[in-house]
Amino acid sequence: MDKAEKRKEGAMGILHRLRDLWRGSPLFSTGMALLVMVIVQTLALSMNTSFDTFGQWFQNWLQNWVSLLRGNAGIGIIALGMTFVIISGGIDLSVGSVYVTVGAFLMVLLNTGAGGWLAGIGLGGISAILLALVLAMALGSLLGEGNGLLISYGRMPPFIATLGSMQILRSVTQYCMKAQKTELPDAYKAIARFDIGGQQLMPIIYWAVLAAAMYIISQKTSFGRYVFAIGSNERTTRLSGVNVRKVKRRVYALTGFLVAIAAVIQTSRIGSMDYASAGSGFEMDAIASVIVGGTSMSGGRGSIIGTVFGTLIVAVMNNLLNLIGVDPYLSAAFKGAIIIGAVLLQRKDKN
Amino acid sequence: MTLEMRNIYKSFGANNVLRDIDFTVSGGEICALLGENGAGKSTLMNILGGVLPADQGELRLDGQPVRFRTPAESLAAGVAFIHQELNLVNDLAIFENMFIGRELKGRAGLLDSRAMCQRCQEVFDRMGVDLDPRVMVRDLDASYKQIVEIARALLMEAAVIIMDEPTTSLTDPEIDRVFDMMRTLKSQGVAMVFISHKLKEVMAVCTRYTVLRDGAMVAAGDVADTTVDQLAQHMVGHAVRTESLRQEHSLGQEVLRAQHLSQERRFEDVSFSVRAGEVLGFTGLLGDGRSELFQAIFGSGGKYQGQLYLEGRPVTVRNTSQAVALGIGYVPRDRKENGIIKDMDILENGSIVTWPRQGRGGFLNWKQVREDFQRQAEALRIKMGAQSDRIGSLSGGNQQKVVLAKWLNAEPKVLIFDNPTQGVDVGAKEDIYDTILKLAAQGVAVVVLSSEAQEIVRLCSRALVLFHGRVQGELQGEALNDQEIMRLATGGGEGEQKERMAANG
Repeated sequence: MDKAEKRKEGAMGILHRLRDLWRGSPLFSTGMALLVMVIVQTLALSMNTSFDTFGQWFQNWLQNWVSLLRGNAGIGIIALGMTFVIISGGIDLSVGSVYVTVGAFLMVLLNTGAGGWLAGIGLGGISAILLALVLAMALGSLLGEGNGLLISYGRMPPFIATLGSMQILRSVTQYCMKAQKTELPDAYKAIARFDIGGQQLMPIIYWAVLAAAMYIISQKTSFGRYVFAIGSNERTTRLSGVNVRKVKRRVYALTGFLVAIAAVIQTSRIGSMDYASAGSGFEMDAIASVIVGGTSMSGGRGSIIGTVFGTLIVAVMNNLLNLIGVDPYLSAAFKGAIIIGAVLLQRKDKN
Repeated sequence: MTLEMRNIYKSFGANNVLRDIDFTVSGGEICALLGENGAGKSTLMNILGGVLPADQGELRLDGQPVRFRTPAESLAAGVAFIHQELNLVNDLAIFENMFIGRELKGRAGLLDSRAMCQRCQEVFDRMGVDLDPRVMVRDLDASYKQIVEIARALLMEAAVIIMDEPTTSLTDPEIDRVFDMMRTLKSQGVAMVFISHKLKEVMAVCTRYTVLRDGAMVAAGDVADTTVDQLAQHMVGHAVRTESLRQEHSLGQEVLRAQHLSQERRFEDVSFSVRAGEVLGFTGLLGDGRSELFQAIFGSGGKYQGQLYLEGRPVTVRNTSQAVALGIGYVPRDRKENGIIKDMDILENGSIVTWPRQGRGGFLNWKQVREDFQRQAEALRIKMGAQSDRIGSLSGGNQQKVVLAKWLNAEPKVLIFDNPTQGVDVGAKEDIYDTILKLAAQGVAVVVLSSEAQEIVRLCSRALVLFHGRVQGELQGEALNDQEIMRLATGGGEGEQKERMAANG
């Protein structure tokens, strides 16, 4: 065998290895897809903006990424919970409505104008904010727990149970908040707007910390492993002495908790909430992130890292469309194509 | 028609699954294909059925070389493969199932049910079975479902029918029904391949046999010239035990007592007690309610009446995690459905029961989990690669051992084995029996549920026979034998034998 042939062999070997990796690990394929998109996005950004020095270019690049990540932190956090739900073999359509309900609850609690509950009982400052945060997260968990109870003890299909709670929560929230005009305290706004080196990085940090925590839960705790086990074979898991109902309840409660955190971040960042439209479509965006990230819709297989990748892929694509000036009406079409394309790529060979 | 396979080789990676296999089956023959799990039977038949390509070797149909690239091609050539998991749609009628994908249509493009039913009826007549093609498949028992599958193969003019363990889920009378039909087809010149672990059935229905072991052909010949013991020896490569394994040792305190347990349409007024160190058997025919009874005791079978006592104290088990906490363990029947979690690795499948105590604050101590599992894996002689391999990479017998491992680690006070050796090869079966007896010797109260009378007779010192959810009789000592079990299981009374003896004397 001469050198040229050997080199060819070597190149083919690497290609084969890559192909096996691509097929074997959904994480690798989503990671590669993300990498390609980031490269294209960087090129588009470079061509789109004017700069003289590398420093200027880097400033542009960084600014673009910070706003991209910050803008998607909310969905990213909700998608973390959705990952557990889908791995357990379920679905949660109510995340957008839980989001708006918790958001409205925060507004009512913290309103500095007339009708603010905490101000009404004379509580103000940091203690009011802390109490509001605890209550908001408790409410989110409780609403999730409600879904979990319907699904595990009420033996309802998750799709139906959360479809119901989705409608109820948004409708009731809109009814209650009809006449409310709210103003939030400035200290509360710092939760998301706190300045680090001239950048508002807090939402990104929350997302990163929660993703790390959820990754550890999914790999290192018995609860996390039970979630996978239930999604793969619920009967066997129950017959192994696992309290499947309790685990399922916790999965939905955990999702509610994460949605509440997203609601806190968004309300403090934006300072207001439109109860008719806020969070609508979040369930589909979160599900899309999870699916693009390689988690199986039928349960049992998936990963938190994949979901983070999935969220980023969708976000980078939106950013890219924006950069190259595609009509906003078409962005949903691209999102749809990404979802379909991702699932086609991840399809395993039949044998 | 004669189907020949010559010098077949097949490997998956470095693993040589088949080496130089010759296999022939002709019309009017029922050829048994024997071997332990992992011996290569399924691979060989998958090559025949067009599911897998062979690496080397050739297939001949009546002397003509053929090549099957897809199951459809092999079917078109007249080779039908009936898989262990039946391929029928419960919510359709028999005739709809038989014509699925090839429906007969009338002039307007609408389905012609009458013609389809008529064709089905012709096939049933030929097979000598009495079935109405309009009956829903849901309403058939397991043997008739098997018969419908075979009828479908005949409808497609199959001349060679491969049956993969067709009797696993059948009761004895149902097995007889399927065998009668197979003999009828044999006399009509159909060639059949019968894959089974049950050697007695092979002796009863087959004309020839081929034994595979570790991918090689080790024996072949006429069934008339061999015995069950010889066949078993070929399969495992050494002599097999058939002697009684019952142990005589002193029993400890009563561990589990059930009083008047009833659940509507499942079981009625069942009482029993089992002591530490005892191996108590439960057997009966399909529909006897034993699995339902013990799943209820284990907390996964819904509400029931009656009272359960654990070590003399009354207990109420609401769910399975409570049962485990109390010291009750249950090794389920039907490994694929209830025993293994296919997306998880060997380690997780073999340890899930004990996770709550292998770690702190919900965090798993994976090092401890691995060590605990490794200890059990060695004791059970599990043949496996890495602990992190998929559970599906193991043979049936080894998968079952992994299921046992998770329960052994839990160290229960009472362990219930539900059909513990279903779909397990002879070697693994003996390992599982050893494990059961060792547990009893260590003072665990063991309950064995089995549809195999032989298993109960060999293992148990005492056995209850159920019939339609009621205890039909209790057997021990000499009276615990195949014949007595069968008599009670089919509804014979306990006093009957005494009466008969009195009448004779």
